[in-house]
Amino acid sequence: MMRSVIHQLLGLRLSGGCGVTLTQVRDKGHLSRPRLRNPQWFLRKEVTRYDDHLTTENKQFVNELGGVNFGVPAIKKDVQENLIKTKDAATNEVTWTPGLRRCGLIARKIGQYPLWLKNGERIRTTLLQIADNHVIKYIPPEEYLPAQPPKVHNLKKRGCILVGSESTNPALLTKEYTGIFRDSGVGPKKNLARFIVSPEAELVPGTPLNVNHFGVGDFVDVRGKTVDHGFQGVVKRHGFKGMPASHGVTKTHRRAGNIGGGGEKGRVWPGTKMPGHMGNRWRIIKGLRVWRINTKYNVMWVQGSSVPGPTGGLVYIYDTILPLRKNKEAPPFPTFFGELQQTSDDVWYEKVHDFKNGSITYENE
Amino acid sequence: MNQADVTKLMSQLRIAVRPNKRNLKNADGPEGRLLKLRKTVTALVKHERIELFYNRADEARGYAELLISNAIRHGDRHKATMELADYWLLEKQLVHKLFRVLVPRYENYSVSYTRMYKAPRDYPGIYYRQSVLELRGNPYPSLLTDHSQNRSLLHNVLLDEARKEFRRQKLPELVI
Amino acid sequence: MNLSTRVMLNRLAPQCAYKRIVTFSTKTAEHAVENQEESKKGVAPAPTPSSPAPVTRKPIIPANYRFVYPEFLPDPKVEWRNPIREKLERLDMLERRKQIDLPEFYVGSVLAVTSSDPHAAGKTSRFVGICINRDRCGLRARFVLRNVIDHQGMEVVYELYDPTIQKVEVLRLEKRLDDSLFYLRDALPEYSTFDENMEAEPLEEGASVPVNDIKVVLRPRPWLERWERQNLRGVANIDEYLKDKHRLSAAKVQKPWEKYDMMKDYRSSIPEEEQTEIFAEVHTDLHTLELQRKRNKRKRTFVKPKQLA
Repeated sequence: MMRSVIHQLLGLRLSGGCGVTLTQVRDKGHLSRPRLRNPQWFLRKEVTRYDDHLTTENKQFVNELGGVNFGVPAIKKDVQENLIKTKDAATNEVTWTPGLRRCGLIARKIGQYPLWLKNGERIRTTLLQIADNHVIKYIPPEEYLPAQPPKVHNLKKRGCILVGSESTNPALLTKEYTGIFRDSGVGPKKNLARFIVSPEAELVPGTPLNVNHFGVGDFVDVRGKTVDHGFQGVVKRHGFKGMPASHGVTKTHRRAGNIGGGGEKGRVWPGTKMPGHMGNRWRIIKGLRVWRINTKYNVMWVQGSSVPGPTGGLVYIYDTILPLRKNKEAPPFPTFFGELQQTSDDVWYEKVHDFKNGSITYENE
Repeated sequence: MNQADVTKLMSQLRIAVRPNKRNLKNADGPEGRLLKLRKTVTALVKHERIELFYNRADEARGYAELLISNAIRHGDRHKATMELADYWLLEKQLVHKLFRVLVPRYENYSVSYTRMYKAPRDYPGIYYRQSVLELRGNPYPSLLTDHSQNRSLLHNVLLDEARKEFRRQKLPELVI
Repeated sequence: MNLSTRVMLNRLAPQCAYKRIVTFSTKTAEHAVENQEESKKGVAPAPTPSSPAPVTRKPIIPANYRFVYPEFLPDPKVEWRNPIREKLERLDMLERRKQIDLPEFYVGSVLAVTSSDPHAAGKTSRFVGICINRDRCGLRARFVLRNVIDHQGMEVVYELYDPTIQKVEVLRLEKRLDDSLFYLRDALPEYSTFDENMEAEPLEEGASVPVNDIKVVLRPRPWLERWERQNLRGVANIDEYLKDKHRLSAAKVQKPWEKYDMMKDYRSSIPEEEQTEIFAEVHTDLHTLELQRKRNKRKRTFVKPKQLA
């Protein structure tokens, strides 16, 4: 910034004689859109892509080499073909107690559709796909000193698990970013997330995490970034009523009206609802019940249609922290290991109507 | 959630289609927008390569693709297609070009019928994104530089050697 | 493909367009037009009975599937699409269809729906009415039935895949001139009155679905909607109630250029290749269900002759 100002001043002085000066305007600085500013230590993830003019054989060879070292990406054209089986995670026998914090999962919101309960009630559900999750790293409590500590109770006694999702082509990523995955035994992933866990819930790097980490009937908290609506007025942003379309109203159909009183309180009070940027914020929606699970596609159906974010957006799933909905019985701890013994891909909660059953009928009392 | 329109049946386009249309700036509203695009499509069919603003080219590209794909699908005896061609091609001799020249040219294509490039912007000047839109198989020289002789580039030479080395190491594994 | 073949195929198309029976046919020649993919590439053999057709057991997806099962096509809105969700939804729909016979019907058909109702006397309720609208896709697919009962217009919205529905019967299978019949709300009640104990009117097997070109008579204004703006074909007397100001304002909102807006149609529909992919996935199951339904129907229609003497 400073440099460009000096540069401009120099330019002015140099071109003082001739009357024309050109000022470069290269960006839309006038738009006050909240921008993501990453911290200085943040790693750049993707490389700039150039056309390298490789021959076809060499291009093939480079792709093949990526496949040799890291395995093929599990998601091709949005269809999850197989989960990469990595090294067997050591199962340290720790029994679950109510106070323990487990790892969470990274998922994608893939859509919504209705299900019906056995009493005929229709419920709306959101489908979350757990796309190819693997543990990347575990940081024990004594080493875990985050620059921006998350607001978690007893943080000093908690470790941190780094989870990655969705394998990708390492040629698209920077060297620094792929370095994160060096000791994990897993290929580089598109998405990373950290989960604060109890040291008992430690997981070995390379452990695959899938939808069986949660069971049907459990409650989960889902964290995601809400849909970005941009700069919005009060009617859309806060649900104000606006003013009538006719009856002498001029130029104030969708405006807020009065924003404060006079006298001693003669100012705009902090927190007054006004136009501004809407959405694109992190939000957690808590206590959603898992109604159904599909183990083939790693999909879970959770309650409601208010999971933050657009369809296709990333969300993080945690065990709920709501005291009355917390796990009462032991969930798979530290995560689900081994193969499932079941005939069908679908696991239904007992209250949900399975479409394989006949129509719902009511009995006479 | 709404239902897909089943009365219309079209072939899939081989280009990336934006989810929403652009309202190209026009005083006459949607009808004027279509007139603007008709002019572009006509010019494209006539000259086979045109240079224009990116947004307008991108919008017109879909219409040109669909016009050609419908012409291939239904032929010149199909009334609705003929009406479409009559509407979209402002110069009537181009209707003949569409059915007699372009349809035979593209009948066995498995890629898109048009191609779009980003063109450099003027500076200083009108600071809109520029583009070049062309029909594939046109008689003009290619806009892209030829890289068929790129085997001698340094990284290609090195990669060639690396590949040979890799194959040599892999060979014993394959034999066993 | 030479021109003459294409012309011939085009001429054949309307004949086969509404063929209702679905078959695993070995005679590709007769269904050459239905298989659009083949006809486009021109590998379909000439439709003459003398030339023996190549024996392929490839399932032929009938061209009318998109009209019979419109809810299997996803919402074309790109932002909401996801292949896995669509696949799971289709699987659920098929599972439901295996449990209950959901017959082919259109806007304008007369249906009887029996559904579980905790508040009804026998815990079930049956409603007969004309289908005036079908909308939404996937498991949300729904339809509206309308009838006039005791001089009172009644409309019930049913969700097609709701498990509380016990039975869907098609009493009269036909189409109307318009895509939705909401104007029946403003029509004389006799046009939406149907007998509750109406008998099913069987349609000849293999016959195309008839289009009922009845024109309904509207009541005078006020109406629920401005019908004059909707270019309705199934209304007889709309001109009676129109003044010049109505005609002018109706002409003002017409969009005659929209029929040339190909990208608008493209964005609101599913392309043919995708439709083929979707229906190929569900075709086997749907076809089995259709055969089963046909068998049941024959069983039902066969009446055992009485013993004489």
